[in-house]
Amino acid sequence: MADSEIPLVVRDLHKSFKDVSVLNGLSLEAHEGDVITLIGASGSGKSTFLRCMNLLEVPDAGDIIVHGEPVAFKQHNKTREPASWKQVERIRSRLAMVFQGFNLWAHMSLIGNVIEAPIHVLGVPRRQARERGMALLERVGLADRADYFPAQLSGGQQQRGAIARALAVDPEVLLFDEPTSALDPELVGDVLAVMRELADEGRTMVVVTHEMDFARDVSSQVIYLHEGRIEEAGAPADVLKKPNSPRLQQFLAPRF
Amino acid sequence: MEQWLTQVAPFLSDNLIFTPNTLAQYWDGLVNTVQLVFISLVVGLFLAVPLAVGRASRRVWLNVPIWLFNYVFRGTPLLIQLYIAYYGFAFIDGVQDSAFAFFINDPVYPALLAFTLNTAAYTTEIFVGAIRATPQGELEAARAYGMSAATAYRRVVLPSAFRRALPAYGNEVIFMLHASAIASAVTITDLTGAAYYVYARFYSPFPAFIFVALVYMLLSFVLQGGFKVLETRMLRHLKPA
Repeated sequence: MADSEIPLVVRDLHKSFKDVSVLNGLSLEAHEGDVITLIGASGSGKSTFLRCMNLLEVPDAGDIIVHGEPVAFKQHNKTREPASWKQVERIRSRLAMVFQGFNLWAHMSLIGNVIEAPIHVLGVPRRQARERGMALLERVGLADRADYFPAQLSGGQQQRGAIARALAVDPEVLLFDEPTSALDPELVGDVLAVMRELADEGRTMVVVTHEMDFARDVSSQVIYLHEGRIEEAGAPADVLKKPNSPRLQQFLAPRF
Repeated sequence: MEQWLTQVAPFLSDNLIFTPNTLAQYWDGLVNTVQLVFISLVVGLFLAVPLAVGRASRRVWLNVPIWLFNYVFRGTPLLIQLYIAYYGFAFIDGVQDSAFAFFINDPVYPALLAFTLNTAAYTTEIFVGAIRATPQGELEAARAYGMSAATAYRRVVLPSAFRRALPAYGNEVIFMLHASAIASAVTITDLTGAAYYVYARFYSPFPAFIFVALVYMLLSFVLQGGFKVLETRMLRHLKPA
């Protein structure tokens, strides 16, 4: 399949912070409707990998191609930089991200958070953005909380609001960075339920997670990272049920 | 109210100090003080916003000069700054015949200059602190959703920083009001100048100065109330439901 038909292709990413090399040649292809989960111990590079996909971290080497459009890089004082921040901003607006710490804008109401990027990045008319934003809040079960500020909501509500914010830009790929790790256990279920629905309706998603049930039930592909390398990858039934690598066996062992 | 007036009227008519004449003095002083403080605060505020953005920038050629400006104006007494503006500039050769003659002929201009730059320096530091305290995750989210650096500043960093800065800025406004009393040192008849005039005229310090102290208190009270209202409106996002 040609790259131009694939929402997100990442090839051979390398990244080091100072002398520590974090990513050592990682690749993935997220096809339309794929749900790819990235698992691995802390420090395995899964969050950095995800953050490279929308250039929150700039990889030292490797390609990122969004619907056939490769991100252009240039060398600047020995470090690699995007050649055009304009291009990066355009690409970012097509890849929405949901963060571990929610990162809602605290001075805006929930609906304000949801309509912010559509209005001020994509140029959607306010009324239209608001209508759609309310529909999205309805979807995640927060229509009655539209005018609340983030600090007035529980963690689970904030994260569901953050998912509505992500959906509002109509992204081609949704990036989730440990979306349930900062939540109280009883709030995790609501957020996962919303994510399952998104997967069911065919959204393309890349999810960094520690939720093995979610990885097993929802994803089309599981990638196990170890020290910045792909140790094992494949369908969840293979990777999680019959792991080949001893490390993955050990990683999964205490859970089952 | 009427009863109160009839009780107060004889007291007022008997006293020698608070005559219509001196009350008019105080009124002029009030007008001068309010004008002086208001203009310097507004201009200082408009200067402080770009200065704070520049000071928070990582570009050395931008943030070092602003750091120096703030360092000088916060490191020296306002009274000295006022003296330099008022006495100093008058000594520059040929200034009397230049287009800047108006500046040395009316003490209000040097006072406005000193007050404006001084409050600009303090306000800049208040804003810089608030800008630096922007939650990193919020900025990251702004960038992740494709905002340019300028849009992220305009939509996320500054609105959030202004709200955080509000209580400290309210403090600066009250401070500026009281600091403006030194305008009387360069012959401006502000509130303090008016009080001094009344004191000198009747040689009775307590009525003259306690009255003016009460006027300053009333002004502070109004300002504090204003900021309280502003804070409850602007900072409600920090309060739990």
